[in-house]
Amino acid sequence: MRLKEVAERLGLEFLVTADPEAEVRGGYVSDLLSDVLAHAEAGDLWITHQRHLNVVAVAKLRGVAGVVFARGLRPGPEALRRAEEEGVNLLLSPSDAFDTAGRLHRLLLP
Amino acid sequence: MRWYRADLHIHSVLSPCASLAMSPRRIVAEARRAGLDLIAICDHNAGENGKYARRLAQTPEILMGMEIQTAEEVEILALFPEEEPCLALQEELYELLPPVPNDPELFGDQLVVDEEDEIVRTIPKLLLSPVPLPLEEVVGRVRARGGLVIPAHVERVPGGLLGVLGLLPPGEWPAVEISPWARLGEALSRWPELRERRILRSSDAHYPEEIGRAWTELYAESPTFAELERAVAGRGGREIRPGPEWKEGR
Repeated sequence: MRLKEVAERLGLEFLVTADPEAEVRGGYVSDLLSDVLAHAEAGDLWITHQRHLNVVAVAKLRGVAGVVFARGLRPGPEALRRAEEEGVNLLLSPSDAFDTAGRLHRLLLP
Repeated sequence: MRWYRADLHIHSVLSPCASLAMSPRRIVAEARRAGLDLIAICDHNAGENGKYARRLAQTPEILMGMEIQTAEEVEILALFPEEEPCLALQEELYELLPPVPNDPELFGDQLVVDEEDEIVRTIPKLLLSPVPLPLEEVVGRVRARGGLVIPAHVERVPGGLLGVLGLLPPGEWPAVEISPWARLGEALSRWPELRERRILRSSDAHYPEEIGRAWTELYAESPTFAELERAVAGRGGREIRPGPEWKEGR
């Protein structure tokens, strides 16, 4: 499913829109970037509470479809700027990680 | 110049997770037993017991320090040559800590203990919480006060800079600490960026018998903060390298 459709269905707000047509093939939930580097797959929508700048670099390296900050946690301006430069989709979910991941799972694997 | 042994990451009774036996007096005695020339007492978001340890000894040399947990839940060592900047930063961070009271039954006691093993005071807020400041802000505040920043047990999950953030973030990271049990070769092959850094190893002792299980080797004129800084900067022929891994920890 396209990222823009996922965003619409889950009520996610785009913070940085790099490629809304990106294909979302799965999901991954983690706040540990070493874990994401080792285990997230390309095309995953990555749900996290981690707002450090390195999130952008890790998202780019893994080729995830986008990063969703759970519970309305907004990353700082430096991360937004870097995501624009690197072409990484950043989104905001007003819901917590459990709820966001649960609804994503139902959407992708009904 | 000669080689000295340093252990710059030792917890005291001010850390709730450390043994009640870890008074400044006991730590100094154990450090002497272990043949250490330079130590730092780095409690979680606190450094006050270092002040009392320094009243006890010429040997080993004792630096002021803290293990600060940032908003990302990354832990960094902040080392200082003098008491004032360390204690001022401790106060600043304490104000910012979430208002979660420590429950000594659950987490352990948080005691400031003087050089005679007398309790000076107990710290009410739980020190095992991250301060709500981003890593870069914490690093900036430490350096602004003349402190040396060393990411603690950098490879570890949780708590290590690389374990949590996956890569070294932009900025200056001249030196990092690895865990007592970390294999240097494995760490260097997993994170090649560490090859360009000075690497320290510490005991991260929470119990008296853990002091001496791991250390850093410092080649310098004397075991002091100024010489440590020179070694970290690679100046004047000073060197710094991790001691051997603690094999029982694996």
